Amino acid sequence: MRIDKRRFYHLDWYLIINGLLIFGIGLMNLVSATSSFSSGSYNFMIKQLIAFAMGLILILVVMYYDYRIIASQSRWIYLGGLLLVILVLVIGLAAGGAKRWISLFGFSIQPSEFMKPILVVFLANMLYEKKRQNIPLSLKDIGKPLLYTMIPFILIVKQPDLGTGIVIILVCFAMLWFVGLKKSTYAVLFSVGAISPFIAWNYLMKPYQKMRVLSFINIDADPAGFGYHAKQAIIAVGSGRFFGKGFMSGTQHKLQFIPEHHTDFIFTVFSEEWGFVGSIVLFALFISFIHRCLKISMDAHDELGSIIAFGIASIIYVQFTINVMMAIHLAPVVGIPLPFISYGGSSLLSMLASVGLLLNISTRRYMF
Amino acid sequence: MAEEPLSSKFKWCTLVLVITMTVLLIRLWDLQIMRGSEMRKLSEQNRIRVKKIPAPRGIIFDRTGKVLADTRPSFNIYLTPEDIKDFSQSVDGLARLLNWDREDVIEKMKAASGMPPSFPIKIKSDIPMDEVARVEAHRVYIPGVSIQIEPKRNYPYGASLAHVLGYVSEISDEELKNKKKHKDYSPGDYIGKYGLERSYENELRGVDGEKRVEVDAIGREVRTLDIIDPIPGHSLHLNLDLELQLTADKALETRKGAAVAVNPKTGGVLVLASRPGFDPNKFASGIIKQDWQKIALDKAHPLQNRAIQGGYPPGSTFKVLVAMKALDLGVINERTTFGCGGGFAYGNRVFKCWKKGGHGSVAVHRAIVESCDVFFYNVGLRVGVDRIHELADIVGLGRVTGIDLPNEQKGLIPSTEWKKKRYNQPWYEGETVSVSIGQGAVWLTPVQLAQLSAFVANDGKNFKPQIVNRIVSTEGKVVKTFEPVVNADPKLKKGVVQIVKDGMRGVVNEPGGTAGRSKLQNVAMSGKTGTAQAGSEKVKLGDHAWFIAYAPAEDASIAMAVLVEHGGHGASAAAPVAKDITETLFKVKTVIKEAKSNENR
Repeated sequence: MRIDKRRFYHLDWYLIINGLLIFGIGLMNLVSATSSFSSGSYNFMIKQLIAFAMGLILILVVMYYDYRIIASQSRWIYLGGLLLVILVLVIGLAAGGAKRWISLFGFSIQPSEFMKPILVVFLANMLYEKKRQNIPLSLKDIGKPLLYTMIPFILIVKQPDLGTGIVIILVCFAMLWFVGLKKSTYAVLFSVGAISPFIAWNYLMKPYQKMRVLSFINIDADPAGFGYHAKQAIIAVGSGRFFGKGFMSGTQHKLQFIPEHHTDFIFTVFSEEWGFVGSIVLFALFISFIHRCLKISMDAHDELGSIIAFGIASIIYVQFTINVMMAIHLAPVVGIPLPFISYGGSSLLSMLASVGLLLNISTRRYMF
Repeated sequence: MAEEPLSSKFKWCTLVLVITMTVLLIRLWDLQIMRGSEMRKLSEQNRIRVKKIPAPRGIIFDRTGKVLADTRPSFNIYLTPEDIKDFSQSVDGLARLLNWDREDVIEKMKAASGMPPSFPIKIKSDIPMDEVARVEAHRVYIPGVSIQIEPKRNYPYGASLAHVLGYVSEISDEELKNKKKHKDYSPGDYIGKYGLERSYENELRGVDGEKRVEVDAIGREVRTLDIIDPIPGHSLHLNLDLELQLTADKALETRKGAAVAVNPKTGGVLVLASRPGFDPNKFASGIIKQDWQKIALDKAHPLQNRAIQGGYPPGSTFKVLVAMKALDLGVINERTTFGCGGGFAYGNRVFKCWKKGGHGSVAVHRAIVESCDVFFYNVGLRVGVDRIHELADIVGLGRVTGIDLPNEQKGLIPSTEWKKKRYNQPWYEGETVSVSIGQGAVWLTPVQLAQLSAFVANDGKNFKPQIVNRIVSTEGKVVKTFEPVVNADPKLKKGVVQIVKDGMRGVVNEPGGTAGRSKLQNVAMSGKTGTAQAGSEKVKLGDHAWFIAYAPAEDASIAMAVLVEHGGHGASAAAPVAKDITETLFKVKTVIKEAKSNENR
């Protein structure tokens, strides 16, 4: 196998170091977040590090093949991902009332996490020709991308994993916007977007999901359930004040006042212990990372790379924003992990594969 | 051409990132800086629970140091619905272990249905040790069941001392509303509701301690942060004598009545018994509704302390007071006689003597010994109601004696002034005739008549009755001693009281005395019987039996009054109670005798 040495020099070290900083903070935070668990934080840290090591291998694999080759084969990858998502519904492992995992080679993986970058590549492959010709997408043009988004979306929401579903849909729309839409397409999409909440509320949403929305609007509507958790999350964040309570000194999560505080609610742990100052630093790192993704998208050699990089930027942006907003009660409670920070091997692997794609695109930006 | 829209897209993206960052930072600023202190406080409250450690209530001792009321740990069974895995397993299992009906358990759970499932429901309080052991041994099979140890007030002598000690019970909502008086109390606290427990609530209560514990989201204690130890309440040492009290109580047990005995030289209350009573232990562990209704609706009024709240005409015992006033005024002297033919005509009616044939010509001594009514009709008329009222008021009749128990009744000794005020009518001399023998409008409480008895026994002087002798802290320091307080010392003419004392001695010890059957071997007891008519002329109820007594006849160390409601004759119903009490107090220690005889063998 021949590796072009020039590629190494063209590695985007900004992105790598920025990503490592976020991951490092996440790993440290995970130690504190899991210290109250009976199995101990060591166990969680090791599992996270193993996932990270596997992710590094995945980065190399993803980088090895030119993203154009990957994109050209993306329908097979997409079908494989879809198969796994379907498999979840058939032989999935249930945890907390939801079937989200399947056991594969002794690991339990969450296929919906992988569906996110796969879909980005698949859609990019579908759309880049239009982008290259700079033709705004007509209503007919967006039919196919929407269809291929709706299939995994429905399957994932059925698990139920509403959070990942929402991410997929939002990322799809962001990519369509990025490619460019006709005015008439905008009009149709906006009108559908306007009525869809009513349809969702009346026909699609489950009672517990409605309860989440209600307790978001009025935090005291369900003080024993979701409202309680939302309230405890705010208290955790607010009690961090300017400098925070200090590493390992957070009380809200340690005493189990916040559910899922090592996964979906992990920001509350960080903000409680590191305060306003720490939160600003973390936000800055994320914004900087996302901005770097956008730069890769802007500098990409071709439209395909540009769209893929933009899609990945939007994944990270959507997850980061919704996750933090949920923790500080600016969004309803929905299960979305904080990239690189939340505990979970599938989420981390999926994130690192995305980084692999970004590096892939950025190293090949000068190649013809 | 292709570059232009693309870079504008990225400008849009930058704008979105800036807006996002701004929104997040504003929100964080609001939460962490503006409301940071408030949130910090909330998080502290979240993890720190203050748990009250109730202070052990002060112990109550009798005169000789026997424990009359203490606090002991009680074992209570709780059921936490949240922790139940299999409903029938836990509920049926518990019911079987305690030999209970499962419906009872379910009823308790229904009563607490408004509480969150994590709230432990008290299923049964104060279970015996063998049940504790049985439940503990089967804990694994009945998830959700727990045993908690809580302090419980304990009255080992139950109803025998109920009216003296009173009882504690959970503070009521009405009491809590009185913020001024009960500002230190919170719901669930115990408070003295009756008797000494109420009078000395502040001394007995102590200061509750606090335990600050860190808890997790479901209220489990993670660790204890600090403890402020409770300060136990002070103990009370009473003047009361348990042995005498139990004797009096036993003598009254099946009847309605009261007995009060004081030390005439100090006013210390030796006995204060009232029947029927109730079991104060039932109140202390949260009385069951049925039990409460049974007590509250009982026609015999077990919650009335007859010794200080029961009003009865004193009957012939009152003659003692009339005689003293007459002798002191010089209206009569020792030799003044009146003829008794079995009746006394006054106005247009005839007042009868209890003895149909009459007593013939009697002076004051025989008049007391044989309780001649006609003699006292004459004397009473010559003294006049206001002067009787005067001495009665001094002695402590018709006003509260000031005994250290709540809700004492005043009683009533009529006077011309009283009648004017009450009925706006002049006093008729005919009424004085009735008053002379303790009938008519006169009504008194047993404790007041014990005061009269003490007054005679102590040669014309008595003290305020006091149940508590001293208050002692847990370290053994005497916080307060209750010195004798003189109630009445009118300095009657010399020899006056002695004449009455001789008469009262004769009542028990002379032939023809009305209480001759209560004569004692070891000690000379003096007394005066009373048989008071109850009800009206039309509705005749059984007479109230009275006996006032003191012993020894000279230099008395106990003075008492016994009442048996509708008991009939004072001599047959009330005097034996006084005899029992005196006998117990002055009994010869037979144990020592036996020990000696063993030695000689």
